[in-house]
Amino acid sequence: MLIQKASGGVADAFLFRVRKFKSQRMAAYRLVLIRHGESCWNQENRFCGWFDADLSEAGVQEAKRGGQALKDSGFEFDVCYTSVLQRAIRTLWLVLDGIDQMWLPVHRTWRLNERHYGGLTGLNKAETAARHGEAQVKVWRRSYDIPPPPMDAEHDLYSAISQDRRYRDLSKDQLPICESLKDTIARALPFWNEEIVPQIKEGKKVLIAAHGNSLRGIVKHLEDMTDEAIMNLNLPTGIPIVYELDKNLKPIKPMQFLGDEETVRKAMEAVAAQGKAKK
Amino acid sequence: MMYFLPCGKFTEYFRCVYACLCKKTRMPKYKLFLLRHGEGAWNKENRFCSWVDQHLSEEGVKEAQQCGGLLKEQGYRLDAVFTSLLTRSIQTAWLVTQAMGDEWVPVLKSWRLNERHYGALIGLNRAELALNHGEEEVRLWRRSYDITPPPITESHPFFFDIYNDRRYLTCDVPLEELPRSESLKQVLDRLLPYWNNVIVPEIKKDRTVLISAHGNSCRALLKHIEGISDDDIVGVTLPTGIPILLELDSDLQPVKPHELLGNQVQIQNAIRKVEDQGKAKKTDT
Repeated sequence: MLIQKASGGVADAFLFRVRKFKSQRMAAYRLVLIRHGESCWNQENRFCGWFDADLSEAGVQEAKRGGQALKDSGFEFDVCYTSVLQRAIRTLWLVLDGIDQMWLPVHRTWRLNERHYGGLTGLNKAETAARHGEAQVKVWRRSYDIPPPPMDAEHDLYSAISQDRRYRDLSKDQLPICESLKDTIARALPFWNEEIVPQIKEGKKVLIAAHGNSLRGIVKHLEDMTDEAIMNLNLPTGIPIVYELDKNLKPIKPMQFLGDEETVRKAMEAVAAQGKAKK
Repeated sequence: MMYFLPCGKFTEYFRCVYACLCKKTRMPKYKLFLLRHGEGAWNKENRFCSWVDQHLSEEGVKEAQQCGGLLKEQGYRLDAVFTSLLTRSIQTAWLVTQAMGDEWVPVLKSWRLNERHYGALIGLNRAELALNHGEEEVRLWRRSYDITPPPITESHPFFFDIYNDRRYLTCDVPLEELPRSESLKQVLDRLLPYWNNVIVPEIKKDRTVLISAHGNSCRALLKHIEGISDDDIVGVTLPTGIPILLELDSDLQPVKPHELLGNQVQIQNAIRKVEDQGKAKKTDT
């Protein structure tokens, strides 16, 4: 098993968290998060959000590698959580197949969905940057509480998303038409607190396969990060992220990535490069 | 008039007359799909797989994908899926829901939908068994209602593969109470509480349910739903990878016989393939 720390600009944030964890506490629980791999729309550099894009072939391979990393380390789980979007569900399936634990109970919830990008959903990120400027794109993608423009009924994908059967049990107040990161976290955390935490506290080993922004919500909460700090954190795709938690569910050390150094470094650089306008 | 009918037709005639007299018209209210998973590695080798956990073969994967494609093409949508704890049934469910674009649909798993436990026969080749014991004996073991094969014991090569598996620590009965061998009757006995307490409530919420399971768990459930007699169930063979549609009324009674969906020639070939599994293989001398 190779556990690699993140490199580059994230190293500073990482070291800060290392200092935070200096006091020795015992691990009572272990939690694994995995962000889904590349989707067909990631490939096209589009804002995906709640659009139900499938994994690309590269994303499938990322998930398989993630499963292999968990298998090599002998991880066993008791329960899994994921969103209702196929790119996360398929990532979970590929991981479970890789570790031969397809029999595990899997709970799917809209609350672990990716951030809803509203009116930007479907737009190519480079074109949006050229139209609105890199700064505006960065604000929409990386700010904490500024939502993008809403997805109204005229939007091409309104019917495919807002009227999809999987959301039929959501009330009008619950069903978003756009979200800031703050909004995403606000609807993800109740599920974390009410459904996932009790399972962890019962000693269940939990695996969560979800999206960049819903997982950021969990990470921000676990590590008590500031709004600014979470904006600078890019979770790698397809790489299992391991937390060891004390009995109060506080991490006793920084998150650890499972995989080889090269894979981890490349993944983090690739995400940071998105959103820059192509000249 | 009734006294002059041949005896064999008496029951059927009486049933029709009774139904007419009651003027009971059954309206379809719910749709239920049963699906026997596709080919696994041991199906190819014609061995009793039972509770040994295996993936689908490449052919089995194709069967599941085709099933999903067919259900999608015919405009069906699923709301809930139930599977056993065995990988091949779960893998089938995943492939079907993926082909339909319904990966988000909840999938619940239970040992109570597992394949019949074949006890000491697990891992043995059906055709060789037929050569040694006769085709009729094997057919009775496979297809009878209440004949239990000899139980599996610790000396069996797959005993610990099964009972040391963590999944069987998550069941609603203790490990030591899980079966060591089963007749089809015993399969139905352990399946019914799950059907009644977990699956039926979902159906009654008007959810279209898919049960992705195994030859014998599907047969047992079909027997229960359609009221097939203990004698008649012996002759019922379900093909692999073919969705079985049941249209049920508000009391969960079928409004018509179950329907095997898809190309009927392929279906008959698939049924024959399963039936041939129990036949003795004659080797050239």
